[in-house]
Amino acid sequence: MSTPNDGARMATEPLLHARHISKNFGAVQALVDVDIEVSPHEVVALVGDNAAGKSTLARVIAGVYAPDGGTLRIDGKPLPSHTTRGARSAGIATVFQGLALSENLDVTANIFLGQEIIEHGLLDEEAMESMARDFLKNLNARIPSPRTPLANLTAGQRQCVAIARTLVGKPKLIVLDEPTSSLSISQTAEVLTYISQLRSMGLGVLIISHNLTDIRAVADRIEVLRHGRNNGSFVASDVRYEDIIAAITGAPSGR
Amino acid sequence: MARAQKNSGSQSSLRQANSERLLDAIRQFGSITQVEIAQATGLSPATVSGIVKDLLAAGIVETRHTIRSGRRAQMVTLAHKTGLLVGLHVTERSLRVAVADSRFEFLERRVLPLPDDHRHDTTLDRAAVMVAELVDGLGSGLTEVLGIGIGVPAPVDPATGAISVAGILRGWEGIPLGEVLGRRLGVPVTVDNDANLGALGEVRFGAGRGISNLLYIRASHGVGSGVIVEGAIHHGHRGLAGEIGHALVDPQGPICRCGSRGCLITVCGSHALVDSLRQSHGPLTLADVLTYAEQGDPGCQQVVMDAGAAIGLVAANAAVAVGPSVVLMGGELAAAGDLLMAPIEEAMRRRVPVSQAPAVEVRANQLGEDAELYGALAVAADLSPATGNAPEVSL
Repeated sequence: MSTPNDGARMATEPLLHARHISKNFGAVQALVDVDIEVSPHEVVALVGDNAAGKSTLARVIAGVYAPDGGTLRIDGKPLPSHTTRGARSAGIATVFQGLALSENLDVTANIFLGQEIIEHGLLDEEAMESMARDFLKNLNARIPSPRTPLANLTAGQRQCVAIARTLVGKPKLIVLDEPTSSLSISQTAEVLTYISQLRSMGLGVLIISHNLTDIRAVADRIEVLRHGRNNGSFVASDVRYEDIIAAITGAPSGR
Repeated sequence: MARAQKNSGSQSSLRQANSERLLDAIRQFGSITQVEIAQATGLSPATVSGIVKDLLAAGIVETRHTIRSGRRAQMVTLAHKTGLLVGLHVTERSLRVAVADSRFEFLERRVLPLPDDHRHDTTLDRAAVMVAELVDGLGSGLTEVLGIGIGVPAPVDPATGAISVAGILRGWEGIPLGEVLGRRLGVPVTVDNDANLGALGEVRFGAGRGISNLLYIRASHGVGSGVIVEGAIHHGHRGLAGEIGHALVDPQGPICRCGSRGCLITVCGSHALVDSLRQSHGPLTLADVLTYAEQGDPGCQQVVMDAGAAIGLVAANAAVAVGPSVVLMGGELAAAGDLLMAPIEEAMRRRVPVSQAPAVEVRANQLGEDAELYGALAVAADLSPATGNAPEVSL
């Protein structure tokens, strides 16, 4: 995890190091020469207008799409393959907008769906339940029991289950696509707290969001995409809303 | 059920222990169905049902019908017949909300992280929606809310309820915060400086009980203090009393956001702490600095100790001016414990009049990060003549 003496952390290569990523869909240039870096213990926000290429970049990082050009390195090593399995084995976990949770299963079953712990050919329910309990505790989750059926959970609690599910594979980087869209304000408070928890667990986090207030609240760095290209990189603690909006829309900065 | 058996000296003590576990679960989740209580506590549904019936008869919990997974379910909440109180604490980087019953028992509590220089309109709008949501989640309505207390990290003029000094919480000065929120929610609202509320919270419910002259210092992203004189909050002209974050510590120092030179927060505000580590440690947050200091990182420890020394200097001068018997430390920095406290005590010792026996004591607060919320609930309760539990301090 994070070491107290972080002089070394600055010198090492970032956790995620994407260089000159390009992706075309027919005549549509979704990504053109995009660079992005995420370090351990860092929250990077990816913002941009609709169709700026945010979700495409997230899908390239998650291994859903293979890039047409560029390199993607994690911990200094190239991805073993541009597949979701390859990305997962390299330590990249992704939560997409749809969450892909199963209504008829409980919290534990959802967290381990497709990655069940099997002991002597049987499901190890006890181990899974106790791990699920730990994940929820680490995230400060407000979910009564790991055996609660998913159907009983609020949208914020579901987001938490989806994040907890990414922790099963002991990831290094977590990619969250619009984690607070369609959440109420008290649920947003919970999800932003989960994101801060992931950061203090020493993970790298890449969030895609439209909400500049939420992003500036939890992100260390803000990267702007415009028409599939990098259009600005800001330190979250120093930047004004006006500058981010100018970079998103392509307006000259107000300064 | 090993845990239950340990308590099973008799049938009644078992039932007592079970009902404690059940109440803990309700407190943790605010409102929860009987089926979920059974899952959360490991008690059988029949036991839960029996205990809920007893607690209902005793007026400790309330129940209502709801639908879960298409089935009828019994939702259980703590009873709050005498109305609800809401405490809000706006800090430089978060909005903290507590909904409590009139016995000051927290029923709901949320923390929303906020960006630097968050805007008053967005934050107040989110505060109003959050309050309505949390109250609704408890199965109540805004009509049951007796009052709302808000704490803000800047001086508040008691006559107007607005922030009276420009530049301390940028963009918020002059906004009638109570009026804006009160109009939205239809509930009486009162506003005060957060350190004043922290002082009041500690005096009523924490380490300040029975102390009539107290200096409460809140060291967080900024630094402020609440002054209790002869048992009452001392606000001073335009609410300026205790604004020690803007006391002079370095006549050659940089210009502060308030416009004067060398203020305490230019030395030990979160921006100053983080900036002094940027060269050696890279970009950090205040929480990072405190975590690394606790883990033994020498640079981060140094920064916290230096902050303590600067705060101690001002605290000792303030102690000469207002004469407290105890200085209580609150805010995130207080969590650093001795690292912060030792240099403050040292500075107090050097100010001879303050250090003569019986010397002014320096202690950590008792309510931690919630002190300001408790104070906000206390002033909210004072808005309504019907409540207010034996107030030891009058405003």
